[in-house]
Amino acid sequence: MPEKHINCRGMQCPGPIVTLFKEIKTLEPGDIITIEVTDFGFKKDINAWCKKTGNELLSLEEKDNVITAKIKKT
Amino acid sequence: MKNILVIGAVAAGTKAASKARRESMDVNVTVLTRDEYISYAGCGLPYYIGDVIKSKDELLVKTPEAFKKEFDIDVLTHHEAIDILPEAKKVVAKDLKTDKIKEFKYDKLILATGASPFVPPIKGVELNNIFTLRTVSEAIKIKQLINTGKVKNAVVVGGGFIGLEVAENLTERGIKTAVVELLDHVLPMYDKEMALLVQNELMEHGVDVITGEAVEAFEGDSDGNVKYAITPSKKIPADMVIMSVGVRPNTELAQKAGIELGDTRAIKVNHNMETNIEDIYAVGDCAENINLITGKPAWFPMGSTSNKTGRIAAINLFAENAERDELRGVLGTNVVKVFNMNAAKTGLTEREAVKEGFDVETVIVPADDRAHYYPGYKKIVTKLIADRKSHRVLGAQIVGEGVVDKPIDIIAAAITFGARVDDLAKLDLAYAPPFSSAMSSTITTANVWLNKVADKVKGISPIEAHEKLSDKNVMFIDIRAEEEYMVKTIPGAVNIPKGRLKKELKDTPKDREIILICNVGKNAYLAYLTLKHMGFEKAAILEGGINAYPYELQ
Repeated sequence: MPEKHINCRGMQCPGPIVTLFKEIKTLEPGDIITIEVTDFGFKKDINAWCKKTGNELLSLEEKDNVITAKIKKT
Repeated sequence: MKNILVIGAVAAGTKAASKARRESMDVNVTVLTRDEYISYAGCGLPYYIGDVIKSKDELLVKTPEAFKKEFDIDVLTHHEAIDILPEAKKVVAKDLKTDKIKEFKYDKLILATGASPFVPPIKGVELNNIFTLRTVSEAIKIKQLINTGKVKNAVVVGGGFIGLEVAENLTERGIKTAVVELLDHVLPMYDKEMALLVQNELMEHGVDVITGEAVEAFEGDSDGNVKYAITPSKKIPADMVIMSVGVRPNTELAQKAGIELGDTRAIKVNHNMETNIEDIYAVGDCAENINLITGKPAWFPMGSTSNKTGRIAAINLFAENAERDELRGVLGTNVVKVFNMNAAKTGLTEREAVKEGFDVETVIVPADDRAHYYPGYKKIVTKLIADRKSHRVLGAQIVGEGVVDKPIDIIAAAITFGARVDDLAKLDLAYAPPFSSAMSSTITTANVWLNKVADKVKGISPIEAHEKLSDKNVMFIDIRAEEEYMVKTIPGAVNIPKGRLKKELKDTPKDREIILICNVGKNAYLAYLTLKHMGFEKAAILEGGINAYPYELQ
């Protein structure tokens, strides 16, 4: 299963969510995308985004001030 | 040798005693306290319960033995002062261990009798496992009960600093906790929209927050242990209750001796900490303060103020008139951590400023606490309160996951020196990416305030916006990208990304009331200028944007 990695560090809102939207459109269902973000507002946004778009949030981690979300396209 | 007598031995009392010793080696210094523990970090008690602080010994700053050895100060614990005899210059005290009555002569007397938790006469309040949290002894009892593992549910009555710190610490220990607050929001001393941001944080961490209601009764089991707290709308399970509705100054001893109380019912003192009776001083939580902004009596029972007043009184025991130290007033500056959220305040709230008759203008401005490209930066929301005519800074509140104590201290300093918002906007503040932004949150907030007062932009507060949600004549426009709008927006808002405003609003009547929404208010400001240019008369921005909006989003 292909995995894609995108770096959105340093991007302020709306950067990460807009980028994620664009990238996920290029993927096939079942593909996994990992996104790295330093904007802490993203933590809440990504949960809401996954619920609304139906994509699956596999993991959400915070380490060394970087938030990493792993999402499976459905 | 002269006798210096101090009553009370927590923050202000021990500060006064040790400072008195540093001022003079030629006096006897004696401290009386009814408690067992002295000189303890009272503000650390919630964290002791939460096991962030493991041992009570970590809270104890100095023991009576250390006071004797290091400063030659006699600290008599378990000694309760029961009478002051100003004519005879004597204090009568009872040794609580032997019940013996003793007399202590003084040349100078310092009252540091502190404050005690207020416990309202609620039905069932005498049941077991209902506590207040003010002393080390109380904290030990609470922690012991929690350590038995029998406390599954707890109720905290009162949503002030102690209440919220306790709620956090109980939650961290796996106890399902409810906070009941009589006002319509927690943190009663904050403005509502700022306090609600903290309230949301509590709820996100699983704390039940019940506002606008009082506990009417407690119900217990057959062993006399509390089981439920009853409010008009709820019956809340409670294996333990912490009463934190506030504290009252301990003034009984002073009153009996004819010492005057102030408007706030704390002991009235002048700037030198002197009471109305010669050679008797009052310091710390039992003493009244002056609000530096209004010049009126106020009462801020805070450790920070206590230590200062203790020191001032001690200096004045020995000082000639010209050398006397004084405290002109305080701002009630405070800061509190609630889970991942920090909240800080200085000076007047909007509510208080209006009541004092100022021509109040406020702004709410979210900003990053340091450079947005430096990992670890967090959001903070600043509310600035100032006078329209004089531009004098009156107060501020800052809430967020980021650093709030630095900016609130900047503003506290500014208010103390009588700054105008214009001064605040031009402060030369330390900047490098790991610490701050090139335009710090304080400076940005001051600039937004100046823009608003100069009528460059019209803003409406989150509370006003929330009240207008049901008004069909008001159009809420979320001007952010469609992707952001989809994640969360204000209920009922339509999405017109800012680039499309001109096209999509060209047929809208120019007298339509429009509220523009973005994340922080900056893009909405640009959109506002566009709309104004198009001829719209009743456009405004939502101050603080989605970031500072404390109500439900969809």
